[in-house]
Amino acid sequence: MNAISAVVYREAKIRATNFTFIFWDLFFPLLYMLVFGVGVNSALGAPTGIGNVSYNEFFLAGILAMASFAIASNTSWSFFLDRDNGIFYEMLTYPMSRSEYLLGKVIFNVLISIGQAALTLVVGRLVLGIRVQWTKLPLLLTAMAIGTAGWFFFYAIFALRIRRNDLFNSITSVFYFVFMFASSMFYPLEPLPAWFRTAALLNPITWEIDWLRYTSIGLGNFHSILLEGAAFLVFSLACFAYAVRCLQQQE
Amino acid sequence: MSEFALEVENLVKVYASRGKAPIRAVDGMSFRVPRGIIFGLLGPNGAGKSSLLRMLSTLTRPTEGTAKILGYEVVKKPIEVRKRISSVIQATAVELFLSVKDNLLTYARFQGLNKAVAARRADALIEEFQLGSEVDRKVQDLSGGFRRRVQVAKVFMVDTPVLFLDEFSTGMDPILKRQVMNLLRAEVEKGRTIILTTQILSEAEELCDDILIINRGKQSARGELNALKQLSRGVYDITLAFDRLPDTIQAEIAELTPIRFTVEGNTIELTLKIEESRVMDVVSALSRNRHVLRVEVRGASLEDIFVELTTREGKELA
Repeated sequence: MNAISAVVYREAKIRATNFTFIFWDLFFPLLYMLVFGVGVNSALGAPTGIGNVSYNEFFLAGILAMASFAIASNTSWSFFLDRDNGIFYEMLTYPMSRSEYLLGKVIFNVLISIGQAALTLVVGRLVLGIRVQWTKLPLLLTAMAIGTAGWFFFYAIFALRIRRNDLFNSITSVFYFVFMFASSMFYPLEPLPAWFRTAALLNPITWEIDWLRYTSIGLGNFHSILLEGAAFLVFSLACFAYAVRCLQQQE
Repeated sequence: MSEFALEVENLVKVYASRGKAPIRAVDGMSFRVPRGIIFGLLGPNGAGKSSLLRMLSTLTRPTEGTAKILGYEVVKKPIEVRKRISSVIQATAVELFLSVKDNLLTYARFQGLNKAVAARRADALIEEFQLGSEVDRKVQDLSGGFRRRVQVAKVFMVDTPVLFLDEFSTGMDPILKRQVMNLLRAEVEKGRTIILTTQILSEAEELCDDILIINRGKQSARGELNALKQLSRGVYDITLAFDRLPDTIQAEIAELTPIRFTVEGNTIELTLKIEESRVMDVVSALSRNRHVLRVEVRGASLEDIFVELTTREGKELA
């Protein structure tokens, strides 16, 4: 436990030294919601086939998932920074296991994502009038925590396997494009062509978004959400196990 | 508890990469290091020093063999090993975004050091390593030399019984280096064991109680400095300074098949392995009919032993 808290302390110290980090951590999803969400909501109105739901309400879960995805990607990139200046290897000789190291990193990022989600929900309610289902808040925060952890472990695999920073950046750019657009992040899946809908349904970010959408505005079917939540949990655990293995193979 | 700080048995490390022949960086090493000494690992670039250190500090797993730190096996009990070691790795490992002081305090936190003790030690080390003027600056804004100071200072924050130093003096000015060497001596007197790698032989000669020379992943020689010098009995350093460098001198020296040979201005330096009785014959032959300003003959230094052992093995393997 001491080792995990030391990793959390280290991450917090690094973030706290840079105002840009703090600003980005807190306001990234909020700005996305206010700029992109309001723009689309004003120009295109409510999406079709999802009942009495505004685009801002629909997009809220997408923004939260995007935030957890972005935190994971940015934090994984820090493996390169740490590796380049040598501290990564030195840290691996500190008295902690590889899984404690990863868990410490993920706990800090989960705390950040929960902070982001809380701020986004409050501002969304107050400024945009989003009808947030506060009774499901614990479930929503759980979804944020598992979502951030899952994506962090997923990205960590690539950051640990790939030695070249530029290659990692190219891969994450492709991931951004594929995962975000082939999902229910920006639009409902129902009107999409069958092949697109199938691809989106196989995409773990869709599982996370659907879970977040159900717990934030109550949209979706409980049983399918349960199934998607379980699938995302399995995805996260598998990524964690493989990320630990990759970390053990660092030489 | 083991009486040895370090026990290595048939240790092998092979690096395999796709499409290339595997590299045996460490090739069947076995040795033991008693507690409370400074143990030097010497070898040319690519000898396997860093690979060995990486295995001993649990950073990488051996391909074969075992290694124990204070009786704990590095593969089976890595956490127990990590609790007992501190490492200065070859790269300048520092937290770039943190201040000098936060680097020390964060390190202490990882090592489970009490907050008050950590603060007190950090203050003392900041003074010792002359970091006072930079204490609140982020390390990313400091020069390479200062970054190295921060990195080395960290290992003095804690009292882990075994300390690994990989080329610790890289980037240090001579005064600081001298200070750190004194600190290392003081730590050994307190009972810590220090395992260091270096290519600076004078550093090893001055610091190490026991030396292992390795080359191409294998042990070449082992012992305390005087014992190693015995290995190289019959090796002499000869220096001759002429008023004007003779035209034929290089050819004459080549015939003597020296271990090393350098010419600088009007001065030649050569290392020869010959019988003691022949040393003066060589000096007089090289000086005959020439105006010699200075003659110096010395017994073997660690550098001579090192060069002789590593080049001899190179020739044998070729």
